[in-house]
Amino acid sequence: MNMKRQKIIRLTLSYLVILAMTVIIVYPLLWVVGSSFNPGQSLSGSKMIPDHATLAHYKELFDTSKSDYLIWYANSLKISTLTMIFSVILVSLTAYSFSRYRFIGRQNGLMTFLILQMIPNFAALIAIYVLGLLTKLIDTHLGLILVYVGGAIPMNTWLMKGYLDTIPKELDESARIDGAGHLRIFFQIIMPLAKPIIAVIALFTFIAPFGDFILASVLLRSKEKYTLAVGLYDLVAKQFGNEFTTFAAGSVLIAVPIAILFLSFQKYFVSGLTAGGTKG
Amino acid sequence: MKKAVSIFSSLALMTGVLAGCGPGKEATQTKNNEGEKKAATAENGMPPKPEKLVVWEDVKRGVALEPAIKAFEQKYGIKVEYKEVEMATKQRDQLRLDGPAGTGPDVITVPHDQVGQLVTEGLIREINVDQSVLDTFTESSLKAETYNGKLYGLPKAVETPVFIYNKKLMDKAPATMDELYQFSKDFTKGDKYGFLALWDNFYFAHGIIAGMGGYVFKDNNGTLDRNDIGLNNEGAVKGTEYIQKWYKELFPKGIIGENGGSTMDGLFNEGKVASVMNGPWAFQGMRDAGIDIGVAPMPTLPNGEHVKTFMGVKGWHVSAFSKNPEWATKLIEFLTNEENAKKRFELTREIPPVKSLINDPLIANDEGAKAVAIQSQYAVPMPNIPEMAEVWGPMATALQLVANQKTEPKKALDEAVKTIKTNIETNHPSK
Amino acid sequence: MFEKGDRTMETSVYRSSHRKIALGLSVVPGLGQLYNRQYVKGVLFLILAVSYYIVFADLLDIGLWGLVTLGEVIGRDHSIFLLVEGILAAIVLVFGLGFYAFNLYDAYKNGQKRDLGLKTNSLREQYHTLVDSGFPYLMVSPGFILLVFVVIFPIIFVVLLAFTNYDLYHSPPAKLVDWVGLQNFIDLVKLDLWRKTFINVLAWTIVWTFGATTLQIAIGIFLAIIVNQKDLKGKAAIRTIFILPWAVPAFVSILVFSGMFNESFGVINKTILASLGIGPIDWMTDPFWTKVALIFIQSWLGFPFIFAMTTGVLQAIPDELYEAAIVDGATAWQKFTKITLPLVLYAVAPILITQYTFNFNNFNIIYLFNGGGPAVSGQNAGATDILISWIYRLTMTSAQYSKAAAITLLLSLVVVSVALWQFRKTKSFKEEDMM
Repeated sequence: MNMKRQKIIRLTLSYLVILAMTVIIVYPLLWVVGSSFNPGQSLSGSKMIPDHATLAHYKELFDTSKSDYLIWYANSLKISTLTMIFSVILVSLTAYSFSRYRFIGRQNGLMTFLILQMIPNFAALIAIYVLGLLTKLIDTHLGLILVYVGGAIPMNTWLMKGYLDTIPKELDESARIDGAGHLRIFFQIIMPLAKPIIAVIALFTFIAPFGDFILASVLLRSKEKYTLAVGLYDLVAKQFGNEFTTFAAGSVLIAVPIAILFLSFQKYFVSGLTAGGTKG
Repeated sequence: MKKAVSIFSSLALMTGVLAGCGPGKEATQTKNNEGEKKAATAENGMPPKPEKLVVWEDVKRGVALEPAIKAFEQKYGIKVEYKEVEMATKQRDQLRLDGPAGTGPDVITVPHDQVGQLVTEGLIREINVDQSVLDTFTESSLKAETYNGKLYGLPKAVETPVFIYNKKLMDKAPATMDELYQFSKDFTKGDKYGFLALWDNFYFAHGIIAGMGGYVFKDNNGTLDRNDIGLNNEGAVKGTEYIQKWYKELFPKGIIGENGGSTMDGLFNEGKVASVMNGPWAFQGMRDAGIDIGVAPMPTLPNGEHVKTFMGVKGWHVSAFSKNPEWATKLIEFLTNEENAKKRFELTREIPPVKSLINDPLIANDEGAKAVAIQSQYAVPMPNIPEMAEVWGPMATALQLVANQKTEPKKALDEAVKTIKTNIETNHPSK
Repeated sequence: MFEKGDRTMETSVYRSSHRKIALGLSVVPGLGQLYNRQYVKGVLFLILAVSYYIVFADLLDIGLWGLVTLGEVIGRDHSIFLLVEGILAAIVLVFGLGFYAFNLYDAYKNGQKRDLGLKTNSLREQYHTLVDSGFPYLMVSPGFILLVFVVIFPIIFVVLLAFTNYDLYHSPPAKLVDWVGLQNFIDLVKLDLWRKTFINVLAWTIVWTFGATTLQIAIGIFLAIIVNQKDLKGKAAIRTIFILPWAVPAFVSILVFSGMFNESFGVINKTILASLGIGPIDWMTDPFWTKVALIFIQSWLGFPFIFAMTTGVLQAIPDELYEAAIVDGATAWQKFTKITLPLVLYAVAPILITQYTFNFNNFNIIYLFNGGGPAVSGQNAGATDILISWIYRLTMTSAQYSKAAAITLLLSLVVVSVALWQFRKTKSFKEEDMM
């Protein structure tokens, strides 16, 4: 009897905690959604459930004569997709080498990767700008993509290496005995087994550009090349006359697809992210 | 280890050797010669025409530039391209990078308070303009474009905060701040506010502080004395006390701080605020929001003085990186001539500091423009020396502390002036 | 396993001195290889060397000159651009020297083989050795090269900038920038205003880093454990909801929160607290409450990541462990502290440390929420400015670029050394495979 009562209490408390958290999480999000349907432009006048809901802000965003939103959207999708592809390729190659080979410079390399992700780099924006100039990559999407990919390497290599370490080495060794070459082992044995972590890294590198407005605003100069983050930030960064509700509408349109992507990848986080840590 | 040392030493050796190389001296000399040759072949004092000039205009102002540059193209046969770049910070920041890279513009537009800084960094150049051209502008606007006795640009528009009211909620603008205070006392209730102003921002607060007798840098016949700061004198303290009174009794806390501007805008546009102190840039947004606005000069202060608002002058400047400074100067003369200034006013409602236009019926009959023009007469140009950069932060701190009722005005201002002085000494070594 | 080979042969007697001749000839890359009759390799090396010289001669010349002098003629030379080119030139030079050293080594080794009467590798064999021992390098190099230019190069730039006098009054094109040695660091210690502000900002930075990060970790782990209870229903749906904050771009969420926390008009004071009968709280103007709000927001933003990771770890803990514990009569609390927590912490420790460093440098939230405010009297930083946002303030308002770089440098040194020390302490790191 006692056991059962304890269980009921425990579960009730758990559900209460979860309910409270759910409210805390969902409330601000619903509030953004609500704001985006509010008529005015300001934050202060917005209500979660507007008196006169309107689609005006969405219409404005989709009206190509009034806003570049759709162009920015396309730019962001393009940049994110390419960043994702390049990052996954480079990270897989690097992480595989670090996980499977013992070569001179390996330990130092790993250590460097660790250190690099801790150093704040925005003081170096001028340097990145001048580098872009010298290579003629200023105001091109390619330049921005390269910077994103480079920045994604250290952290994600660590994540992936952790995962690859959990794949038994006997697998590669037996394949090698069977006469498989380096590339074949990599592509046909390791990569298929690493799917969860690849999914995780793909997702991380895909969404990172959506949240960056600093690098992108330094490297991209023309409005028609902006990414969503830069364009949207411009809407609210003004001290006067900022357009919060339009910003909210724009944000909803970014957040929804990303959230869906996140949720559909959810099962991979659990296995992908942690296998590295637990070692299986 | 040994390997590292040897690599390092050979590196050092090579750098040592190579340091002797670098660009040859002849390169610079030939460049100079070329320059002279160019000058020599010029007709009537002007160098040969460039193929095109590039102008950076503020965002959403291109409409006013287009007719002017078309006329310029027809008259001189020089193509002019323009790009819209945000004026307050981006023109300066991007010129820093794009200028030396060779991808910058010939002409930029910045608020005049950046002139000192841009000159110090060597980003804009002095311009030579005929006295007849200078005579067309108001004196105060030219003074704003002058730094260390040299002229660095021509003014295209002036702006200064004015009194804006919602005609539905207020019949007519009050003549004195006391009247406004009484009105506000009665009107402010719950979500409704009689009058709002961002007096935790020194840009707006300056009007009150200076009207009561404070000043930023002492103006000695046109030269600002950076060592004489009048922001904690008796007048400044009185002004700040006056500001504190408004915050204590009538202003909501939500308009204090970084996001105060947008909050205030929002409240006004929803018809919850009867009147605000704001700049002419806000007119359009308010009208767009469907508010029937009236505009007037600021009401007078309790001591009978006018509110001495900060005046901002937006000017055209020639980039130091321009390869055709003479033609760029010609272009800005053209852009600011009476005809184009008038057109600019019609299209953007920006008020040109052109003497002949101030009394033009076009401006005199425009309520907003008239109010700004009148208020400008009482206004003080923002200091354009680089030391001004050190004033904003500490003053905002002091005003915020006062607005939050955390510190007494006198103490807050003393503290601010002390910080400003230290910062000026540290960051701006005397020349 | 790729280092085996020559050691045993070193004791043998050389029959000729090909190795020395090859080494000497290789002063011009490729000649030594040609001498060793590895023609394809030799020609390849020669072409590489020549094209390196043709492509980079100018960059090396101007760059290294610029790096040392930072320009000599005002107007013609832009010190900052020269500094950047100089760093690039140095990087290119290091790559070049690396190749050059390999060329010498290769000529010597193959000469040695000939001296010992061994056959040098045929082209096909060369290819195989290259692929075998070079494979990891081959795979790492594209990422590595990109990393050098995009991440390492800017860091070098900041480091060097800290030793110059780049500020408003030494700013190209009006002036040249000069090397000033340790002057910036001396100023930081000497000048009162800087020191006082620095200490206050540092104190809050530390509280912020530990407070916000620890809270987000604690919440993440706590929720993961709650949700992972066997008899709890609706796990999938709950997990989906808990991951949502992660899926919304952070800058969007922060700006939204900034609106919600507005003292007079935000929903928190106006609706939520009012309905609970609590008076308005000074979220934006009182330092204490602003800090509370910031820590709350960061927990909101940061816990889902920890939650997802911990969930994974929990699912991997075998049930037998708990069953054995129950047999031994362990209480729920004991199960938690003796089994669950150690396992979770062990698994996620390295990631946790990166979370701390992330918050240490978390510029976005401070800047976007309240611009570092509210103001505090007597210092040139706001009450919630952390070091990184203070550096930003410095460079933006006072154009103190070199000082900002100096602070960045000091800051990075501290973070990196603390983090490395911590990493070395975590168990998972000590294992052979991790490093």
